[in-house]
Amino acid sequence: MKTRARLPRLIATGATLALALSLSACGDGNGGASADDGKIHILVYGDATNKIEKQIVDKFNETSDVKAVLDTIPGADYQKKLQTIISTPQAPDVFFNWGGGSIKPFVKADLLLPLDDFIKKNPELESKFLPSVFNNAVVDGKPYGIPMRGTQPVLLFHNKNVLKKAGVQPPKTWDELLNAVDALKDEGVTPIALGGGDVWPTQMWFQYLFDRIAGPELFAKAIEGDKSAWEAPESKKALKMIRELVDAGAFGKNYDSVKYTNGGSVALVAQGKAGFELMGSWYYSQQLTDHPDFAEKGLGYSAFPTVEGGKGDPKNVAGNTNNYYSVLKKTKHPEAVAKFLELMYSDEFVKAQLDVGNLTTTTNTDEFIETSATPEYSRFQYDLVANAPSFQLSWDQAYPQSAASDMHKAIQQFFNGQLDADGFIKAMQALPTE
Amino acid sequence: MRRRPNYLAGAGSLVWLVLVGLPLYVMLAATLRTRQDYAQNGPVSFPDTFTLDNFTGAFDSGFGQYFLNTLVVTACVIGIVLLLVPPLAYAIVRSRGRATSAIFRLFLLGLAIPAQAVIVPMFYLISEAGLYDNLLGVILPTAAFCLPMSALILSGAMRDISPELYEAMAMDGATPRRMFFQLVLPLSRGGLSTIVVFSALQAWNGFLFPLVLTQSDATKVVTLGLYDFQTEHGIDIPGLLGAVVLSMVPILLVYLFARRALVQGLMGVGGK
Amino acid sequence: MTTKITSAPPAAGLRKESRRRPAASPSISTVGRPGFAWALPAALFFTLFAIVPLVMVAVLSFMSWNGLGSPQWVGTDNWSRLWDDPVMLKSVWLTLLLTALGVVIQTPLSILLGVWAAGYQRNRAVLSVIYFIPLLLSATAVSVLWRALLDPNFGIPADATWLFGDGNLFGEQATAIGVLAFVSTWQFTPFHTLIYQGAARSIPQVLYQAAEIDGAGRYRQFFHITLPQLRNSMITSMILMIVGGLTTFETVLILTQGGPGTDTTISAYYMYDKAFKGFDFGAGSAIALALVVAATIISLVVVKVSGYDKMRSSMEGVS
Repeated sequence: MKTRARLPRLIATGATLALALSLSACGDGNGGASADDGKIHILVYGDATNKIEKQIVDKFNETSDVKAVLDTIPGADYQKKLQTIISTPQAPDVFFNWGGGSIKPFVKADLLLPLDDFIKKNPELESKFLPSVFNNAVVDGKPYGIPMRGTQPVLLFHNKNVLKKAGVQPPKTWDELLNAVDALKDEGVTPIALGGGDVWPTQMWFQYLFDRIAGPELFAKAIEGDKSAWEAPESKKALKMIRELVDAGAFGKNYDSVKYTNGGSVALVAQGKAGFELMGSWYYSQQLTDHPDFAEKGLGYSAFPTVEGGKGDPKNVAGNTNNYYSVLKKTKHPEAVAKFLELMYSDEFVKAQLDVGNLTTTTNTDEFIETSATPEYSRFQYDLVANAPSFQLSWDQAYPQSAASDMHKAIQQFFNGQLDADGFIKAMQALPTE
Repeated sequence: MRRRPNYLAGAGSLVWLVLVGLPLYVMLAATLRTRQDYAQNGPVSFPDTFTLDNFTGAFDSGFGQYFLNTLVVTACVIGIVLLLVPPLAYAIVRSRGRATSAIFRLFLLGLAIPAQAVIVPMFYLISEAGLYDNLLGVILPTAAFCLPMSALILSGAMRDISPELYEAMAMDGATPRRMFFQLVLPLSRGGLSTIVVFSALQAWNGFLFPLVLTQSDATKVVTLGLYDFQTEHGIDIPGLLGAVVLSMVPILLVYLFARRALVQGLMGVGGK
Repeated sequence: MTTKITSAPPAAGLRKESRRRPAASPSISTVGRPGFAWALPAALFFTLFAIVPLVMVAVLSFMSWNGLGSPQWVGTDNWSRLWDDPVMLKSVWLTLLLTALGVVIQTPLSILLGVWAAGYQRNRAVLSVIYFIPLLLSATAVSVLWRALLDPNFGIPADATWLFGDGNLFGEQATAIGVLAFVSTWQFTPFHTLIYQGAARSIPQVLYQAAEIDGAGRYRQFFHITLPQLRNSMITSMILMIVGGLTTFETVLILTQGGPGTDTTISAYYMYDKAFKGFDFGAGSAIALALVVAATIISLVVVKVSGYDKMRSSMEGVS
């Protein structure tokens, strides 16, 4: 009887002990041997592009003694799972990320391998990539990522027929855009489709306008932790212009109930119910899948309009620079990993990505661009990115991931009027920067 | 049953049928049409095209293996629940000991533990036990989180067994064990099938534990496989729903089967 | 808990035990009662996989940890931060509101559907299978279906502008809450219906026959026989609804992500948001622990007030 009575206390003690042990074990970051099966584990965001990653892994395994294994994590939960396992023995050797803020906390926790040794041995690991893209995975002056998918600049797409009917040209300047909004409203269509339910499409308007008006430096300051950046007059001006655009009815009234991810806003443009949509370059293949007729005949695109008097270079672009492979310090097979990363600028890789419409950011992309599924469109983007003095990484990816949720809340609330400019500025100042 | 039909209830159930049926119609219609048709004509429309690609597509992306894994998880979870919960519920309902009522309270507490809250410690527990990326590592916590609800449901059902029946058996000198097997189990078939359905659902639709506790393709379950239809910026809705419909079929069969047991079990009570 | 266990009757050797016990206690009703050992395997299993992690969560709620490196003790910092957090306060109200809405809408609905489905008519059997299907759908499917159906331009709102106006259901707090209450009703009513269906079937037909002889109409029968007989099931179902309402958040996660802004951020979703989006596991753990405690207290109160934990069977009052 006595022993039974002690059982719960024993369990509680055991639990505390287990907690203390496991938490301290993960602290020293050496990684146990349990997950080491003599292979390199490559962890990627699970989605339709995985077949190319699989193809590259197979190619690697043909020649390598150390075999690679591709593990995928369902997309929406990628970051959640990554953060749970990255400091444990179950951590992969190589993992997918978005560069910028998505790896900063890992670098600070001393989990990642700086790639300068790899690059010293094989300079092509750096020189084969477009610098503006490669630099987005540089943290504290050291490179931590190798670009591994396609670049996705954000463009202003439009429905040619709708614009023609309203007598509107694709806008080159902000004023032309405002005029187009009025003309489209008169035609009875929603001027600009917006999947506000996803929030990140809303954010695209912020990151472009801030870049056009203030230049990339202001945001760079903010992300370095200088909170005063958000109070700068340029910031307030950009917010004022967003407010005016929303209040002019540019996005209609129900944008927060529309989603991009379920094809809602896509169909609005394809069916002529809206004129424009600001979206990443993947938009074209989305339209091609859902509305092939429209994509071939009616879909137009242009760069984001310039803003008169803005400090930012009008040739700057914003969007997702690329995805990156980063390497964990604990990997037992650094040589094999380096060999694997070299495949990211191989001809086969570039061709395979272009084949599915992804625009790689290697220097040899130029020579294969005509083999792309959509040569003309790929050329437009490639020139845009290659000529851009600065490529603004999407805000929610430039900040640490822990800031993304609060940032999205602030963006949605400012857009729909729940927050005024001061409230928005305060919310952005409260975001963690590391 | 010989009473006149209840028109009010009939009308009410029809309203509910529309509410339940419309989304289900949208789902079925979406799975039988091409992605273009769905995108261009909207969810509520009648399909222009007919295709089975959404089902075959699911199998092409490795769903066979995922199904098998989910099946194993579900079967084992049901097994554990059926092994542990009936004696527990029996003790909760019949035992007069204060320890048992403490245990009942423990399970009430457990009812309120959200899996999300404990997932991080759970990850350490499972990986310390060497069960990471092993189906067993998914089965054990999933079963554990089925226990509180199952215990509540089954003890609710067992409470409805008339005390006279126990007393009659006690007069014959029956042991608790005999009462359990000869009286309690047969009379709580309705509750048993409810907990089977419940835990089957939990295991079949379980997402969080497999997400955090498995990694490789060999241990992937169907709910994780559904993400093959999503990209970073969009979803292949007909493809996804096709896989969802496929993944529902086995669990629907479990339900139909359990339903018969449910009806039979309850008829047994009614016949007394 | 410990003290209670010491006072528990010995559990080993069931058979002998139960024979010996009547001697110690003169009451006939303790004859042949199962001992504590019957509950032990489940309790141990559950302790290992749910209570132990919960204890770890409790410890984490006093630590600061982002998942990387070692957690640091911060005392009651997480708790005091939450106490001063307006979003947290708002989330408590939203949680209570949504839980109350769930109970108020789903209870009558599932009683009616359950009693209706308890009939043995063939059409009812078929329909109740259809009614059951929403429960089978995974969260992803539910989200995809309802977001598509409620799309303001291509879903139902577009065809019923007289009802939905501009269809901005997810853009305003009141309608977003309405959608959440509706979709969780849609998804979880089948489960409660199942509970009531089973209970309604086990009501002895004799009672109805007797009532009919007394000339009681259908509605009097429903209120005077059916409802009182469903008492135990009602309590079970309500506890499940309340606890479910307080702690689950999947509907919010899949439909609104707490938005617009924080207008549908219920506490359980806020916990998720803190822990898995903000990687503030300390604050997340504190919210989780508070929820577990709150839900347990509420369900214990319901159990106490209703006398559910007494050994009373619904059959007793009848015969």
